Amino acid sequence: MYKLFLTFRYLRKQLIVHFAIAAVTLCVALVLVQRSVMGGWVEQVKQRARGLLGDVIVDNQSYAGFPLYEEFIGRISAWPEIEQATPVLYTYGLVRISSPGFEMTRPVSVVGIRYGEVIRVNAFEKGLFYEAYYPGTTHLGPQRQPMLGLDPNAAPVPSPMGGLVRPPALPEPYQSALETARRRHQERFGRPLDAPNAVDGPDNTFLREHGLAIIPGEYAFSETDAPELAGEPWPGLIFGRDIVATRQSDGRYKRRFVRGRLATVTLWATSIGGAVDPVPIKQAFRYADDSRTGVYEIDSETVYCDFDLLQGLMGMGPADRIDPQTEQVVGRTPPRCSQIQIKLRPGLDRAAVAALTERLARTYHGLLDDPSIRLDPREQSLVVGVTAVTWEQSQAHIIGPVERERMMVTILFGIMSLVAVALILCILYMVVLQKTRDIGIVKAIGGSSAGVAAIFLLYGAAVGVVGGVLGCALGVLTVVSLNDIQEFLIRLSPALRVWDQSVYSFDSIPSEVNPVELLVILACAVATSMAGSLGAALRAGMMQPVEAIRYE
Amino acid sequence: MNELEARGLVKQYEMGRSNLVVLHDCDLLIPRGSFTAIMGKSGSGKSTLLHILGALDVPQDGQVFFDGQPIFAPPAQRRHTTGIGDVLSPVERRRIRLRRTAFGFVFQFYHLLPELNVLENVLLARMIGASAWRWLSARAEARRDALAILQRVGLEQRLRHRPAELSGGERQRVAIARALVHRPRVLFADEPTGNLDAEAGANIMQLLHALHREGQTIVMVTHDAQIAQYADRVLRLEHGRLIAPRRGEDATARTTLGPTPPIST
Repeated sequence: MYKLFLTFRYLRKQLIVHFAIAAVTLCVALVLVQRSVMGGWVEQVKQRARGLLGDVIVDNQSYAGFPLYEEFIGRISAWPEIEQATPVLYTYGLVRISSPGFEMTRPVSVVGIRYGEVIRVNAFEKGLFYEAYYPGTTHLGPQRQPMLGLDPNAAPVPSPMGGLVRPPALPEPYQSALETARRRHQERFGRPLDAPNAVDGPDNTFLREHGLAIIPGEYAFSETDAPELAGEPWPGLIFGRDIVATRQSDGRYKRRFVRGRLATVTLWATSIGGAVDPVPIKQAFRYADDSRTGVYEIDSETVYCDFDLLQGLMGMGPADRIDPQTEQVVGRTPPRCSQIQIKLRPGLDRAAVAALTERLARTYHGLLDDPSIRLDPREQSLVVGVTAVTWEQSQAHIIGPVERERMMVTILFGIMSLVAVALILCILYMVVLQKTRDIGIVKAIGGSSAGVAAIFLLYGAAVGVVGGVLGCALGVLTVVSLNDIQEFLIRLSPALRVWDQSVYSFDSIPSEVNPVELLVILACAVATSMAGSLGAALRAGMMQPVEAIRYE
Repeated sequence: MNELEARGLVKQYEMGRSNLVVLHDCDLLIPRGSFTAIMGKSGSGKSTLLHILGALDVPQDGQVFFDGQPIFAPPAQRRHTTGIGDVLSPVERRRIRLRRTAFGFVFQFYHLLPELNVLENVLLARMIGASAWRWLSARAEARRDALAILQRVGLEQRLRHRPAELSGGERQRVAIARALVHRPRVLFADEPTGNLDAEAGANIMQLLHALHREGQTIVMVTHDAQIAQYADRVLRLEHGRLIAPRRGEDATARTTLGPTPPIST
């Protein structure tokens, strides 16, 4: 106990040790902030990479796709582990969209999805913009352009441009949602919504809370006074957000097009053998919504349309099988898809998922043994290449490098932290030199070599504990205030912005303090501080009492 | 009855290419309850002898017996440096135990821990061997003893003062209190008045004298013949050997008060 007593007394009275504590504090805070930011980054990348995928993905990496997906889904749908399975089709094309005075054509990855199924398999729906504000309004079926009109029954309100205007009204089904909001507002506040349809009305916050705010610039206005659904009905197309909108440096998006605008997609069909038909296929769509996964490569290059429509356009749907010699119809060619995404029921552990993934692959390949299924050799070759993988395996090429980068940065910061260890070593060595006579005294009154060494080891540990705890506190405080700190810096000067949302595709600096990591970092701080004090402790322990007492 | 017995002590220091022999075949008996003064010129080896007797230093040859038991390993196995592993050596453990329980040291320059106050300096010597499990109860007992000894040396009003806030005499009294708090059988004093003025020195010597009268065995090193007069036996260290006191010296006059020590030849 005397060792602890002396340790704490030295800790309080030795000013120089406060520098060692400060070094440990800064190192711990540095590593914690780095781990938290990188950890948050990895988690966000994982979540967003996960966002468009099921738990298990079945595909064959072929542009021609693979057949028998309907039979496969039919067989596995009854399995207790399977919650939902849906086919997906991938191809490439050109998309063209215009608004008054602006036109854009760009190459895109065209993804065919069954909207009603895919939203039950992954988090696709959560990334949709209009669906979030107007639940239930996004679909990929034929649709017209919703146009805002002026509400003939509403009282005029001041216009931002001056004068009085009647607030806009919404076409159905938006109008009914607004009625619900009006009722809720009345129930909550005991008064009706003020100018409920106004673009910048005072109750817009309440409407936004209910996902019903009218977002300036997001809708076209009808040329007539009445709201309407205008134009020809065309199938819906969901854009990747970075195609139709520009991300601002504050993380918000500025849209270049409004919902309902006409878009054209040009595709090239591919035969089962992989040959591309040189004759392009054009299809008109309406901008139904835009999706954000958070992964820029996806959001800037992908559009989503109805699976069955795309399958038909690409010539991958069911068709008559013609005998080339007799030119007679001898059966039906099976439809093809590029991928099957499967949502598993919650609660399956990693081993169970791995086993299930293997079973899914076996089940698919087992379809070839079914005598009722007849495939020609080219179709069979597509089946052979089909594999089943978990979403982590499929995204390893994205997650792996980020994880490695995180580890590398941690190692770099760890090496930098060795400076703190060296500092502690130097400081404690100086303390031992300073305290040489005290060491002699302690030994003269009965302190053992191990006891004296323990004083300095405890001293190092105490430096580690105090510095580690302070560092953890500083690190956590920094992590939780990181975005506020950036805001403060930006207010001082925009040039001080360190995190540009338009580059990193995340709204805010990702940060996530992992309590286990925090404890590990604290333990490392104590261990490294003790390691730093080891040399000093050994020197102190090995001193002859009489030499120490005579030390000048 | 002898408290300590030294036989054939040899201590030499390497000084470049030559060896400086400080103690040469030195024998000594310290009877229980005696007050022995060892005199000698500066650099004659008095302090070295005291340190060896008090188990702070290790001789190259010879042995010191306490309670009839040797306190050093046989010369062939003797190490002159200390390692962490020494704590496992029974002889080293015994030496540590002796320093902790049977010996008390008073140094010329007090050697108090500057970060601790008067009470803590004294308590530390009493608590250094206490087990962590009995810390609280041992501390209460140690505090009682420390307060008693500090009262004895007249420092009960200075308990919370740090060494830097005390005079030289007061510091030495704290050092004496620290040396006595665990009730040692032998008190070693290395020039206890060497850093004090005459009045403070006299006070310290009166204190030691009083302790001696109460039966405390004291071994003191001094170069001052006046100070040596407080002892009941005075020995002189010359050329590495303890020699018989010369007739007619003041300091030797009182050697008749105690038993005649064996003198190395």
